[in-house]
Amino acid sequence: MKKFLLSLSTWVLAILFFFPVFWMFLNSFKTDFDASTDPKLFFSPTLEQFREVIDSKFWEAFASSFFIVIVSTIIVMLLAVPAAYALSIKPIPKWRDMLFFFISTKFLPIVAGILPIYILADALSLLNSRTVLIILYTAMNLPLAVWMLNSFFREVPKELIEAARIDGASIRSQITSVILPIVAPGLAATALLCFIFAWNEFFFALQLNVNDYQTVPIWVKGAVDERGNFIAELSAASTLATMPVIIAGWFAQKKMIRGLSMGAIK
Amino acid sequence: MKKQKVKNPFFLVVAVLTIFSLLAASCTSDDGDETSTTDDEGNVVASDKEINVAIVGNGAMDSIEDLTPEFFTEETGIKVNYTVLEEQNLREVVTRDVSAEGDQFDVVMIGPYEAPQFGTDGLLTDLSAEEFAGGDEDYNLDDLIDPVREALSADGKLYAAPFYAESSFVMYREDLLEAAGQEMPDAPTWDEVAAIARAVDSDDVAGICLRGKPGWGDLGASFTTVLNTFGGTWWEANEDGSIGEAQVDQPEFKEALEFYVDLVNDAGQDDAATSSFPECKSLYEAGEVAMWYDATVAAGFLEAADSPVAGKNGFAQAPIKVTDSSGWLWSWALAIPEANENKETAWEYISWVTSSEYIELAATELDGGWAAAPPGTRKSLYENEEYLAAAETFAAKTLESISSADPDNPGTTPRPGVGGVQFVSVPEFQDVGTRCSQEFSDAIAGTTSVDDALANCQEIASEATAEQ
Amino acid sequence: MKFKEKWLSSDGWYRRGPILPAFIFLLVVTQIPFLFSIYYSLTSWKANQVRIPREFIGIQNYIDLFDDRFFKSAAWISITMTVSAVLLSILLGIIFALLLDRKFFGQGIVRTLIITPFLVMPVVAALVWKNQFLGANFGILNWLLELFGFDTIEFASKQPFWSIVAVLVWQWTPFMMLIILAGLQSQSDSVLEAAKVDGANKRSTFFQITLPHLRPYLELGVLLGVIYLSQVFDHISVIRVSSKSKNVPYYVFERSIGGGWEFGQASAYSIVVVIASIIIATFGLRVLSGLIADNEGA
Repeated sequence: MKKFLLSLSTWVLAILFFFPVFWMFLNSFKTDFDASTDPKLFFSPTLEQFREVIDSKFWEAFASSFFIVIVSTIIVMLLAVPAAYALSIKPIPKWRDMLFFFISTKFLPIVAGILPIYILADALSLLNSRTVLIILYTAMNLPLAVWMLNSFFREVPKELIEAARIDGASIRSQITSVILPIVAPGLAATALLCFIFAWNEFFFALQLNVNDYQTVPIWVKGAVDERGNFIAELSAASTLATMPVIIAGWFAQKKMIRGLSMGAIK
Repeated sequence: MKKQKVKNPFFLVVAVLTIFSLLAASCTSDDGDETSTTDDEGNVVASDKEINVAIVGNGAMDSIEDLTPEFFTEETGIKVNYTVLEEQNLREVVTRDVSAEGDQFDVVMIGPYEAPQFGTDGLLTDLSAEEFAGGDEDYNLDDLIDPVREALSADGKLYAAPFYAESSFVMYREDLLEAAGQEMPDAPTWDEVAAIARAVDSDDVAGICLRGKPGWGDLGASFTTVLNTFGGTWWEANEDGSIGEAQVDQPEFKEALEFYVDLVNDAGQDDAATSSFPECKSLYEAGEVAMWYDATVAAGFLEAADSPVAGKNGFAQAPIKVTDSSGWLWSWALAIPEANENKETAWEYISWVTSSEYIELAATELDGGWAAAPPGTRKSLYENEEYLAAAETFAAKTLESISSADPDNPGTTPRPGVGGVQFVSVPEFQDVGTRCSQEFSDAIAGTTSVDDALANCQEIASEATAEQ
Repeated sequence: MKFKEKWLSSDGWYRRGPILPAFIFLLVVTQIPFLFSIYYSLTSWKANQVRIPREFIGIQNYIDLFDDRFFKSAAWISITMTVSAVLLSILLGIIFALLLDRKFFGQGIVRTLIITPFLVMPVVAALVWKNQFLGANFGILNWLLELFGFDTIEFASKQPFWSIVAVLVWQWTPFMMLIILAGLQSQSDSVLEAAKVDGANKRSTFFQITLPHLRPYLELGVLLGVIYLSQVFDHISVIRVSSKSKNVPYYVFERSIGGGWEFGQASAYSIVVVIASIIIATFGLRVLSGLIADNEGA
């Protein structure tokens, strides 16, 4: 019985917490007028908002975002996993300083950083390209990934790694066959967060890719008509924009199951 | 092995997504290759047949994107690559680009705030010159309504071609005012409007909706028109047009602010401190406010066929106190950065989209009909029978509001800068206007006193004077 | 250690090699802009007025900063807003993580639902909250209040700070939850089994085994939360900008491309932020010692 109540309250809490997002979905199907006046749960639904926002830019924006975000997340993971190894399993002598350096790169307010970055990107002919955003998003997410993976790697029992090393395993196979399976939940959480941050990033995308390869957040913002009742249209655009991230979230949380590590230890 | 099984689905998903994105990327890049060329450095530049245009994401501009492919690109072969941004973002990007003499855009959409300033700095092309509008009889420069043209010019040269223009006036529900026994004169004073608002105000319906959201173009614009007509000003003007002593501590300024704050608190809408055009529009359409002082373009929305309040509205001139008129003047206009190398192509585009033929096109091709035509730029529109019929209730008042705006002399004292009604046309105003409007908005919300707000604003404005 | 031993020996590469790609990449991409910023901070640069060229003025911007009471007020808001948002979202994050660490019907769905607030663009989340929930005229919260006979509350107008914090907590709780949940997942089942066998009840298991195990994850959450939440911008811009809700990033934005166009001064402010962050982080990491504690028997 107690279990049932606990599960029930979890469901209730989750639904309450989710409600604003649900409301946003709901608004996507309302007319401009319905969405901007008294809140209505029952209304006559319409697809006009979706028709308005799905223009030619929609497909381009999604294609650009997918490419940029997936590539940068893959690069982040490829760089962060060995880096975390070097900070946790076989720590380099100055590992604390190195960790500090990584996190210190996030101290500079991005508004200050945009000017030099813009000038550099212009000089390197990287404006309005996917490359520039891939580079920036990788740099943006790398500290996060390194710190998170560092914490997760430290959970791995030393004996297992020692055993593998003694068996002659290289760093790469130590990582892939011993460490990664154990930290799979942490890996999933990290990759998901990197994906989310890169997907929703607006400022650099606006300033650097203003003409070409615009990303989804810019497309969403373009649906905000300041002179009208924009909330319904914005909700529709945002619903579409959030879909891929929700799918990514679904996959990631599937990996977060306790007991994954147990196979390895036993 | 158990471990292998765990890894595979994840990597499979990643592989699938990567392949998908690569496919998607290669599909879309084909479009880009057709009409663009790459210069020596690998930059994608607009060739003769393609231009980059930055416009603002207002409902009024929707028509541009819809009509361009069929009526412009097909006729001229010039492909237009639109970047649609919200006003704040647009200003950030355009100002940065134009000031740095960059080449991101061939055509930029700006307003009477930027046009004269950039123009005098030599950053924009003079569109009234021979090779552009000056030598183009069909374009008919003289058809532009005078204040609108003036506001976008400096030293007699036109630096941006207006796409649409607006002033401000009072919109009110005739039925609600009548029910409360009130009558609105055609050219009211602020005292009259305030009295009517307080009389009509009830628990269910607020008397008037006024902007209160911080921002030099939100509360700043609305309040500055009140300030002008109360005889106040932001700064003294020096001989050379630069800003002199800050005048926020003067009695007229205080009177204007107190009036505004009191009116909003007594008879205004809830959450005034976060309300601007969209919020007031919703409230008005829902019948929760009886009057609304804001942009003339709102009339087009309120009188549209599908508007819940169509046919119930009256319109009055922007209220005055000691001046003859007080309505603001704003337009969204297209300019060519001087650094652009594609000027002829850019002008071909601009002359199409700001012409009277375009207005007719928009009226006949789009759903809104004549009532939704881009208003306020040309005298010929207000002589057009079809337009006058469709926009009967507000066309005349709109024209009068715009025509009576005087950007060079909007108040009782000389203004610094190059002319503006609801703003001061100096670079410092963006910052000072925004930060001061935050203080005034706090005063409306009641989290600061009017005196404190004025003191803070005086400090901000004085800093700007000192720093130049 | 001599260079040869440090780098050219196989042990040197073994230890340092794996981190080199990440390190070099980050060094190049972040430090070049940083150096530029330092240079700009020593100039007076009104970027929207071309007739005034950029000129070198030394540390004048930094001197001006000390007199700038708006910056000080923004700094205070930065601190209070960050602390409130981080603490509240960690608290909620722990509760959610604990609830989700069990097996129950539809746990996958529930987990995905709880993650969703974090997935929405900050600008959109703030707009939806401001427009649909917090609004005094049409907002859902006030609609509920009126239903029960209470007066409407102008949340965004009268309480901008807490309105913003509320939306921040709503969005960032899932972030905390993810980290803490991953931490809970990595608990060794055998240890928990052993505790049960020893007769420990749920409460003491939580406090004596789980919580200590979670410590590095909680600290990670605090560290990352502070870093991200101190840079909040969109929520303030959308919900309400006022002296009571303006933090340093927003103020710096206002002085630069948000209308001030004073890039020199804005850069100076940013450099000061970096220096302050380094000091705070150094101090903070000593407190959050779980993050940088040596592994037993490295």
